[in-house]
Amino acid sequence: MEVLGIRHHGPGSARNVRKFLEEMKPDIVLVEGPPDADGILQWVGKEELRPPVAILVYQPDDPKHSVFYPFAEFSAEWQAILYARQNNIPVRFMDLPAMHMLAIEKQKREALNKTEEQSEDDVISSIQSVTSGKDEVFVPKKDPISYMAEAAGFDDGEHWWEMMFEQRRNNEGIFEAVGEAMQELRTVFPGKKDRKEQLREAYMRKVIRQAEREMFTNIAVICGAWHAPALKNMPKQKDDNELLKGLPKVKTECTWVPWTYNRLSFESGYGAGIHSPGWYEHLWNYPEDDGTRWMSKVAGLFRQKQMDTSVAHVIESVRLANALAALRQMPRAGLQELNEATWSVLCNGEDMLLQLIRNELIVGNRIGSIPDDIPKPPLQVDIERAQKRLRLAVTADFKEYTLDLRKENDLERSIFLHRLQILDIDWGQKNHVGGKGTFKELWRLQWRPELSVDIVEKGTWGNTVEEAASAWIIQECKDAQTLHQVAVLLQQVIPAELSDAAEFVGQHINDMAAATNDVLELVKVIPGLAGIVRYGNVRQTDAGMILSLLSSMIARICIGLPAACVGIDEDTAISLTDDCTQIEHSIQLLKHQMFIVQWQQCLQQIAYNQHAASMLRGFAVRQLMDYRILQGDELYNIFYSSLSKAVAPADAGAWLEGFLKGSGTILLLDDNLWQTVNNWVKQLDEGNFTQLLPLLRRTFAEFSQSERRRIGEKVKSGTVGTTVKVNKDIDVERARMAIPVVMQLLGYN
Amino acid sequence: MSNVLRQHAEELFAQELEELQKQDSGRRPANWKLTPQSVVTYLMGGSLANGFEVSPKYIGNRKLMEIAVATLTTDRALLLYGLPGTAKSWVSEHLAAAISGDSTMIVQGTAGTAEEAIRYGWNYARLLAEGPTEKALVETPVMRAMKDGKVVRIEELTRIGADVQDTLITILSEKALPVPELNMEVQAEKGFNVIATANNRDKGVNELSSALKRRFNTVILPVPDSIEEEMDIVKRRVESYEKVMELPAEPPALQEIRRIVTIFRELRNGVTVDGKTKLKIPSGTLSTAEAISVVNNGLAMAGYFGDGVLKAGDLAAGIIGAVVKDPVQDKIVWQEYLETVVKVREDWKDVYRACRELL
Repeated sequence: MEVLGIRHHGPGSARNVRKFLEEMKPDIVLVEGPPDADGILQWVGKEELRPPVAILVYQPDDPKHSVFYPFAEFSAEWQAILYARQNNIPVRFMDLPAMHMLAIEKQKREALNKTEEQSEDDVISSIQSVTSGKDEVFVPKKDPISYMAEAAGFDDGEHWWEMMFEQRRNNEGIFEAVGEAMQELRTVFPGKKDRKEQLREAYMRKVIRQAEREMFTNIAVICGAWHAPALKNMPKQKDDNELLKGLPKVKTECTWVPWTYNRLSFESGYGAGIHSPGWYEHLWNYPEDDGTRWMSKVAGLFRQKQMDTSVAHVIESVRLANALAALRQMPRAGLQELNEATWSVLCNGEDMLLQLIRNELIVGNRIGSIPDDIPKPPLQVDIERAQKRLRLAVTADFKEYTLDLRKENDLERSIFLHRLQILDIDWGQKNHVGGKGTFKELWRLQWRPELSVDIVEKGTWGNTVEEAASAWIIQECKDAQTLHQVAVLLQQVIPAELSDAAEFVGQHINDMAAATNDVLELVKVIPGLAGIVRYGNVRQTDAGMILSLLSSMIARICIGLPAACVGIDEDTAISLTDDCTQIEHSIQLLKHQMFIVQWQQCLQQIAYNQHAASMLRGFAVRQLMDYRILQGDELYNIFYSSLSKAVAPADAGAWLEGFLKGSGTILLLDDNLWQTVNNWVKQLDEGNFTQLLPLLRRTFAEFSQSERRRIGEKVKSGTVGTTVKVNKDIDVERARMAIPVVMQLLGYN
Repeated sequence: MSNVLRQHAEELFAQELEELQKQDSGRRPANWKLTPQSVVTYLMGGSLANGFEVSPKYIGNRKLMEIAVATLTTDRALLLYGLPGTAKSWVSEHLAAAISGDSTMIVQGTAGTAEEAIRYGWNYARLLAEGPTEKALVETPVMRAMKDGKVVRIEELTRIGADVQDTLITILSEKALPVPELNMEVQAEKGFNVIATANNRDKGVNELSSALKRRFNTVILPVPDSIEEEMDIVKRRVESYEKVMELPAEPPALQEIRRIVTIFRELRNGVTVDGKTKLKIPSGTLSTAEAISVVNNGLAMAGYFGDGVLKAGDLAAGIIGAVVKDPVQDKIVWQEYLETVVKVREDWKDVYRACRELL
């Protein structure tokens, strides 16, 4: 038996494994991986199964908890399996089966949930009893390999491993060397032997013993380097069996799913994410490259992006990379040196361009593919389950549902449908519903077979609708360019009750709001948010997050708006006045003392700023008057000065328009206002009056016909409004007696 | 101690250079005083085999210094690029001191720098009297560095007019400087190279032509990564300044330095230290060098006009001066920052009050 200790997804390891197997000619290959998936190994070697792909092990009753085992072409495991399939010898996975792994995790979660109410001591002890059967030993937080790297003078374990094992050209006895190194580490850090690790290694030995019992003589074992010593020195069989007795189990299913290099660079089933799949693919394909081919690739990419890159550039960067390697006393330039050379020579020190290389070359954008006849993906399973649970029939005909959101089942249906909508799986269409109240929704559902394709496509975003919708929204949010787009996303996400995503989107809005210099953009977002805060309660959503968002945005608007009113043309002024009206409504709607105070201060600044657009000044004065901040002589003064002779008639007209914005009725009801306007008109001499007449006409033209008629009548009757005289001699006692009757007459009872 | 206001790097750190040279065992590029490894050690600091401590000159990413030194071992020139106040000239001075033992070969780039300042000039009295001879030739630092195989520094390369910049192309690619008047040329000795500095914030700079750009490897010196790193720099520099200027004030408490550095970092990065709130970014650079001068300024204020102890009030004017460069836009930025960030911090009340008073 030979044990080949490798690093997951290491191209050097993969090459060594391949070479070793070809020389060794084993009669069975055992690979670290979930034995649950033994059944689907038969697909490996088929033309349509192209890496990067992953084995997905999921619980059919709870797809949220699943494990991915990704493979790239340069994964040692993939090469080993491929070798076995091509040579028609048996290949088996030998890690602790996922059905046990998932069950143990489930127990852990349950224990955590259960103990939340208990005292802290209990929590610790019960977690320990689940996670470790024996005494807890010191567990190093760092990857143990990094200690070796440190001893060798490297700052990071991965870099050291790459230099030592992956880029090496002379590979004789390399697996023995790895084995010995790991043996040494394991004696220094026994700590990594927590219960799960022990179980995994025990199971691996069990599979090996099983193979031996089946009379295989030439066994090749491919496992993570760390486990190699544990498999070579077999302890007593009895101990292992003891350890593996009575493990919990859950039902699992496996399938192949396409994978991407991008996802490969995240942490995954092996707990070993890699940072640079594209670079590894390069190393796998061109082990002899001294950086020249890589730099040519980089130059090619730059040329594709319309950046001039000459051959001389490539020469210089290869030279610099090699000089750096020499300075660091390394035999050849690694990715780090090549990147630094690229940064300095090709990018002129700009990190932005290096990011491009990272995305396109170092990580790469390769997507794997899988044959069509492979079993169903979990997102589909989750959707079907939700359909059954919520009793939403899948039909080819239209079917309408009127949902009453006060009922729990209907609320859940609505949430589910909103989430599908977010994912662009447009099964349901939300229609406008008549009548009052915000608790009703009308949906029209029709299933189309093409939707399954959308589901498969969106499956990469998550295994449940909730997860996928959250991830999708978050991605959309990252891609969004304008504040408006993000605000729309927030409005989508609230009815879908995705609290994590909502929080993310909220944070994003906040960030964008801070970064934008365009107050006008902020202003447009406010009404929608205010609406959510005011009316969102039907959906039992927590409005607190949005409220805090609003408070910071309103603060920003109140600081920035006065400056935004300066130096704008008439059209912008008109639309900004409309927006301000909206804000005024929103602030009235929110009824929050702090907002009102800030808003009033902002209005005051606008009202007194001579450079601000006239219409907005008029608007601000009017609002301040309504708040009773501007009254009496001060109001007259500002009114007269804004409409005085020296002011250009166009400005004066705009001011009055802002002042009287949409409030003909108030002119009739409020005698103060009437008097102010009336006095002003009366003091105009004939010339000015004629001059201003067209502007005034435009202002009054916006009022409704009946308002205008009544204003006309009021002017004609000559009374300067009905002056209410306050009689100080009221008999309070007698007046109070009349109140109930008046209330009844007004319908307040 | 010498009475010179500011000594050259190779004089100030003569002992360190000597010690490094003594224990240096590796292979040195021709005409280099130290091996590349030792040059990096000189810049980044560290302890030598005999226990001698080399002080750090550049506090920041070691990789950048490695790239810079590796570049100088190839035949490409080095361009240090970055915001004002990110230690570009400082690094170039120390690189030249460590490599050539001489940081005085320097050309200051200005809008008025002429070709004669880079290639060679003439002593007109001699030129008229004797005609063009080698004696009438006035060497520039560039020409001298070529002859001696040393490193020459060109400060503020992008301020020099584009036509004058391009005279460097021949020097950098052919490593030769032709003198057609005398029908001769000066060929560079081994060890010659150019370190140029340029900043990327200024208006009215002359972008390098791509022909010239291609002959430089660029290293962008960033603003400090972490708040600790930046505080370390500010503290070191303020201390050395105090010594030179003999200020009557007490050395600043770490607390005050931390606050200044925090304000500068937050506004520069456009986000608060805890990462929770985004901020608008003012138009100024807010470099570490400016933080240093704000603290120095505050010390002078406290020493000569205050009670000798650095307080928020002594710093406020300096901070506002550094942040508000544009009276309209930056003022909004600063106001927002004061109201949304400074105001709510419990132990920053004095800063808030001091700044409010001045606004």
